[in-house]
Amino acid sequence: MESTSLLERILRGVALVLVVVFFMFPILWIVLMSFQTNETILSVPPSVIFSPTLENYQALITGKLTTAAGTLDIAFMRNLGNSVFLSTASVLIALLLGVPAAYAFARHKFRGSEDIAFTLLSFRFAPPLLVLLPLSLYFQKLGLSDTYFGLIWVYQLICLPLILWIVRGYFEDISADVEYAYRIAGHSWFATFRKIALPLAGPGIAAAGLLAFIFAWNNFVFALVLASADKQPVTVGALAFVTASGIQYGQIAAAIVLSIAPVLALAIYAQRYLVEGLSLGAVKG
Amino acid sequence: MKSLELKNIVKRYKTHTVLDNLSLTVAEGERLVLFGSSGAGKTVLLRMIAGVIEPDEGAILIGGQDMRDVEAEDRGIGMAFQNFALFPHMSAYDNIASPLTVGKSSTSSIADGVGKVARLLKIDHVLSHHPKALSNGQKQRTALARALAGSPPLLLLDDPLRNVDAKLRFEMRLELPRLLAAQGATVVYVTQDYKEAMALGDRIAVMANGTIRQIGTPEVIYNAPADIEIARLFGDPTINLLDVTPKSGPDGIYVELSDVQIPLPGMPVSVVGKPCVLGLRPEAVTFTTVPGSIPVTVEAETPLNEKTVTLVLTARKREILVSRPAGTPGPASGAATIAVDGSAAFLFDKTTGARIESMAEYRTNGEAA
Amino acid sequence: MSESALQIKAVDKFYGPVDYGVHAVRNLTMDIKKGEIIALLGSSGCGKTSTLRMIAGFEPVSRGTIALKGRPVQMLAPVRRNVAMAFEGYSLYPPLTVRENMAFALKAAKLPQSVVDEKVAYIAKLLEIEDILGRYPSSISGGQQQRASLGRALIRDADLHLLDEPMGQLEPQLRAVLRGRIKHYIKERGLTAILVTHDQTEANALADRIAVMEGGVLQQFDTPQEIKERPANLFTGTFVGEPPMNIFEAALSASAETIRFLLKDGVALTYGAHEFSQEVRDTLRNRTQVVVGIRPYAVRRDDNGVKARVSVNQWLGDQTHIAADFAGATIVLVEHDRTHLQPGETIGLKLDPSSLHVFDTQTGAAISHGRALA
Repeated sequence: MESTSLLERILRGVALVLVVVFFMFPILWIVLMSFQTNETILSVPPSVIFSPTLENYQALITGKLTTAAGTLDIAFMRNLGNSVFLSTASVLIALLLGVPAAYAFARHKFRGSEDIAFTLLSFRFAPPLLVLLPLSLYFQKLGLSDTYFGLIWVYQLICLPLILWIVRGYFEDISADVEYAYRIAGHSWFATFRKIALPLAGPGIAAAGLLAFIFAWNNFVFALVLASADKQPVTVGALAFVTASGIQYGQIAAAIVLSIAPVLALAIYAQRYLVEGLSLGAVKG
Repeated sequence: MKSLELKNIVKRYKTHTVLDNLSLTVAEGERLVLFGSSGAGKTVLLRMIAGVIEPDEGAILIGGQDMRDVEAEDRGIGMAFQNFALFPHMSAYDNIASPLTVGKSSTSSIADGVGKVARLLKIDHVLSHHPKALSNGQKQRTALARALAGSPPLLLLDDPLRNVDAKLRFEMRLELPRLLAAQGATVVYVTQDYKEAMALGDRIAVMANGTIRQIGTPEVIYNAPADIEIARLFGDPTINLLDVTPKSGPDGIYVELSDVQIPLPGMPVSVVGKPCVLGLRPEAVTFTTVPGSIPVTVEAETPLNEKTVTLVLTARKREILVSRPAGTPGPASGAATIAVDGSAAFLFDKTTGARIESMAEYRTNGEAA
Repeated sequence: MSESALQIKAVDKFYGPVDYGVHAVRNLTMDIKKGEIIALLGSSGCGKTSTLRMIAGFEPVSRGTIALKGRPVQMLAPVRRNVAMAFEGYSLYPPLTVRENMAFALKAAKLPQSVVDEKVAYIAKLLEIEDILGRYPSSISGGQQQRASLGRALIRDADLHLLDEPMGQLEPQLRAVLRGRIKHYIKERGLTAILVTHDQTEANALADRIAVMEGGVLQQFDTPQEIKERPANLFTGTFVGEPPMNIFEAALSASAETIRFLLKDGVALTYGAHEFSQEVRDTLRNRTQVVVGIRPYAVRRDDNGVKARVSVNQWLGDQTHIAADFAGATIVLVEHDRTHLQPGETIGLKLDPSSLHVFDTQTGAAISHGRALA
């Protein structure tokens, strides 16, 4: 009995290591690449031993990209700033609009409420390219193209349905009795929403917000078409590394590391909170 | 305390009628028990009184005032839920304080209010705990304390003892009357446990399929159930039901069990020859050695707390449960004879299920009408 | 009848490593005879379910031996132990009808169809599920599923029937009669059954002997009568019996003529020393503090007795429960007649020494029951 459980433990460990390697290797490789020059990256066979260099990061931060063909100006840091601003603003607005809407959908079933909720979700189904052409025409007419406002508006297509549907599920999981109890105790529905529903759905709202942030951060097509260079996020900005004299793998790797860092940090920070929230567990009474 | 009046309440969910033209009056300071199995509509009715569900038709009056446009928070109600419905993110103290934090109460007056009700329910030592750190019994007491804290004139208790173990339930059943009396509120108490209903209700309203089938004091419900179903719901062990056809003899109406005549004093002649069901409470059947009793064989003896319940089989394979106080003599196996107290038996119409009134009852009811 | 059906010898159960993991069952020894109905009684986490799972073979035994009909089985797969089980969560096969569920094991045993039909019909009648035999588990109520699951276990001709919380979901109106029928069925066929339950009412109703467990330890293994009259300790005394036993802390003063229990609020129970045996007197003389217990049905009303103030008088149809303020606590009485005591009324109570249980304050172990030593 003892021996089987030991074997079992070893096998389980091996399996876990395999899974971790499979998922983590690309990230590890990117991080390694970001500290190498283009030459060492492209050398065959590839080597794990190299003298690390910070010149990729330096180039990104200073905005001067030195290639074989000469020096190029790149706006990576500005792109990064755009990404942060666009994603944050979009998520905040989506939360402000989506959370109350989710509460309404969860608590008040009326004729057609299911259809409306589904319609909102269906925005996620349509390929963005489908709406891009008409959208860009409208935006030009309305003077919204190449504005932060316009981009944030379009980003609601990504964020709002996500938040609406995830948060709605969390609200539905809260026992209606808990809210009834607060109301019967003499509090208005709005106080009940603030003091009971919001705190109890907190972990869900955080999870939805985080997910929406990641989706907004990773968006490419909308920003590519609807914004010019100075409003573009990192995803689009990274295109600049495909230069006439070749692809700057080292800088791309460094750019990737820099651009996933905020999201990763946020996810790790929020994870602790999410797990805590989910283990609250007493939501159902 | 305030009176409560429900007038012709109707509630439908899609095509299903949950409450069907239900009317009910609860007097000031009365303790009314709504009793029924799950799905009878008790919980919906209670939520309607609380104002969190709206009736499709009918009126709810609290203290004589129509509640049509009065929000839940303005009805002055205290409510305890079956699943406790405690606020999981708040301490027991904050849970109990929630009815007191409305308006401009001072912190000290809130603390006084919480302290008083917490002492009453013996949970003053766990006030700082969150619900997940409370035992089931403490959760239940916290929920009750929250309902009582605002000293509401009308108290709705939705099966508050259902989710605690037998011992706590028993303890609370003994404690509740004093607690509720001290509140002086009008109480509507929902339960599926007939013992709770009988122990706590001034009157019991038996609900089934969205209507009230019978309403009366525990005595009326137990000793004069309106029909077979109600008779079956009250009493543990359950009432014995035997198909019989009453006959008429020189000494009045009687029925036969294993060829032994059991007189049913006071039954009207109209029952003779009619297919009926004889309802015999297990405690109305006794083991006896008197000649001319009903011969039976003992199937099994199953003690039930302070009683001993015996399942016996008559010669015609009819099952009868006999109940006697524990410790009194009785057979545990083999052959035995039983006697039936016909005056304590009920007679039900087999087709309608309604109890057939004795002539004495018929006369009193007739005079009353 | 003296043939051993199940022997559990010095069994320990650890979840996690032996001696370091969670010690769920501690040094359990039980001997069960063929034809007995045994109840494993305790609250959740007491070790009763672990014990049941070890007997069934779903859980390995950490230490000790389990023998069925004298044959050690702890290395045997569940299917080879010839044990029938009714699961708490019913575990009916969803794609099979109630009839097929019940007939499943019989068909697997290659019984002729006519015998299978006969047995199913008989059990179905006994459990009142004749009208749902053709239905699927998902379309019947919880109570009906429980009866079907019980039927699937009882129908088998196993060496041992394990019933896990077999009647918890049953419709209250059916409970009394089904208890009688099932007990009769098991006894008539000489089956051996172990039921696991947290409901002491259930255990008392069905079992020949009850094993009371708490904290993984067997507290007492005796007939219901014996547990009621001679509980081994305070836990057993208060766990078994409804309404539960009244208990009071008492200071003790014993002289040659009298033994006096001094309860809170100055209430004194004074008995003649002759009411207790010499051994009890000797034991009690060495004590100053004890816990006394008396069962609700043993408390009698007596105008000359100790005084108590009625707090509630609850009539339940065939009995009355009375609670009264007494010695700084509540004392509960059960009367089989209807009484009409009013809250606030003062009554006299007689706590007969023959019904008095005395327990050790520290360990909770019983010292005496009535006049005899525990």
